[in-house]
Amino acid sequence: MSNSTILRSINLQKVYRAGTLETPALRGVDFELHKREFTAVAGPSGSGKSTLLHLLGGLDRPTGGEIYLQDTPLAGLTKDELAHLRLTQIGFVFQAYNLIPVLTVLENTAFVLELQGIVRSERIARAKKILSELGIAEYANQFPNRISGGQQQRVAVARAVVSEPSIVLADEPTANLDTATSLDLIDLMRRLNEERGATFFFATHDNRLLDRVSRLVTLIDGEIADDRTQ
Amino acid sequence: MKAALRHLKRHKGRSLLTLLAVLIPVYTLVFMFGFASANLQDMFETATRLESGHFQVRGVSEHETVSTLPLIDDTSDVLSALDSTDGVEWHTVRLDVPALASVGDRSETILVQGVEPDTVARITPIETLIVDGEYLTSGENGAVLGQGLADLLDVRVGGEIVLLGVHPDAAMGVIKVPVVGIYEAPDESMERSLIQVDLSSARSLVRRPTAATAILCMVEDVAGPWDVDKIDAVTAALTAQLPDGFEIVDWRELAPLVLTYMNIMRPVLFIFAASFFVLGALVVANTLYLSVMERTRELGLILALGASRARVMRMILIEAGLITAAGATYGALLGVVLMWIVEAFGGIPLPTRFAEMFRSLGLSGEIHLSVRAGDVVISAAIMAGVALLAALIPAWRAARFEPVEAMRYVE
Repeated sequence: MSNSTILRSINLQKVYRAGTLETPALRGVDFELHKREFTAVAGPSGSGKSTLLHLLGGLDRPTGGEIYLQDTPLAGLTKDELAHLRLTQIGFVFQAYNLIPVLTVLENTAFVLELQGIVRSERIARAKKILSELGIAEYANQFPNRISGGQQQRVAVARAVVSEPSIVLADEPTANLDTATSLDLIDLMRRLNEERGATFFFATHDNRLLDRVSRLVTLIDGEIADDRTQ
Repeated sequence: MKAALRHLKRHKGRSLLTLLAVLIPVYTLVFMFGFASANLQDMFETATRLESGHFQVRGVSEHETVSTLPLIDDTSDVLSALDSTDGVEWHTVRLDVPALASVGDRSETILVQGVEPDTVARITPIETLIVDGEYLTSGENGAVLGQGLADLLDVRVGGEIVLLGVHPDAAMGVIKVPVVGIYEAPDESMERSLIQVDLSSARSLVRRPTAATAILCMVEDVAGPWDVDKIDAVTAALTAQLPDGFEIVDWRELAPLVLTYMNIMRPVLFIFAASFFVLGALVVANTLYLSVMERTRELGLILALGASRARVMRMILIEAGLITAAGATYGALLGVVLMWIVEAFGGIPLPTRFAEMFRSLGLSGEIHLSVRAGDVVISAAIMAGVALLAALIPAWRAARFEPVEAMRYVE
């Protein structure tokens, strides 16, 4: 593993089982992600994009293979250790239901910092700063149901980067957004990648976004069909 | 904490249901304890104050008698022992003598009670029940008798009664006493069979100038049967000082009805309380479980972001703690306030038949409520504690969510 490698998977496999029925989702994925990359994993529905993100993010466990975050093998970690690793090393943006409805935009943004045990004054200051950077400071005291879907995803991105994690994993963050908003969100993520050096790895099946990434991994039927830097 | 409050506010209906699940049992229990406690206190006070005292010192009988207390020749040693025992608030000497009361050609078998009028008022209701004439005066020859007996003997205030004392430990004595007062008692048998005279007159009936049958005692700071430890402590200390030939008989023997009532009420109250607690806890567990299931995706998100399972459990338990604390507090307050209101209106009047029955037991004809602060706090605390224990089930369930599955959950 080179010094710039953040995340690595070796022969990663995932099979979903329902009774006697087995559905392979990943069939041996070898993959490395490097610092400061802005990488998308694309592919048709059911190709294993979300599964790959969940496994890499420690949200689910693989059926076979290995994952290393920095130098830590995820396989040996308990649930609580995985939770701590997610809290300290990974930022998440999900497709939908990203925000906690009873917390304001500011509180949602600072939530991860609160879980990390950072004192209130500092987490509020950091949350306000990132909200300003992302141009949504004016919504700081709004509850999620009072802002648009695009704004909600911006808040989710703010929350994902506020703790300056090693990597941000985003699972189809634009799936529920219109084209203009989707492009805005990707541009925003790209800006954070360039200005803050944040490493992004996100899944998408929207081809309109793909010319904005620095590296594109194509997944088909649970296998990497293409992996190119552009 | 803020998030927990917002969650509770967001689901007002469910929060209200949870609140009521705690509030109703607490306020019902406070009310019920108020009723039972007041009845018990009333019964205890009536029994000990009007008849027996908290305990009595009596002579030990050499031969068994069915209804007559053995005669004590001299009370001075006992009185000295009482005076030197800490915690004895008050005592009075009494001499009970079975007797025949006659007026003209009419006679009735009665009990003459020789009392010290100056001190006995504390322990007898008769002075307050006088309807004609007046109560006894210390050292003066006179008798007070019930209206029923007065009618039977056809005597009124100012008339005279001849009493023939027939105590088995003494020679028969005869005295003539003027009727100075007539009382009316709720207990008909008492009214027809009890005459009170000054202690010196009763002593003439047994021809012994220092005789008595019992020294009735009250102990300091005893508000009800829950303070029996204080009585036990005093009787234990006194036992060590009493000369031979005397025994202590406490309220348990003197007022067995109170003990029976206590023995019945305790398990009944316990069963009621336990049932209320369990029902309340089930409702709390159920509503919180529904709340957790409704918030599956949110809890999945929180877990996905890196919250520990302990943290998620704590979140649910904080919500449960807030709502149960509020329910228990409001329940206790409501119970106490309702009791105050009821008491402000003079208690709850019982139907006549029950009122008469209660009065015959020495109780009030109304339901009076009073509850000790300790009972209120304990009821509220136990309910809140049980509800919190019940909340562990949904909290544990929430903590066991798998983040990915929980975030995919569709209601």
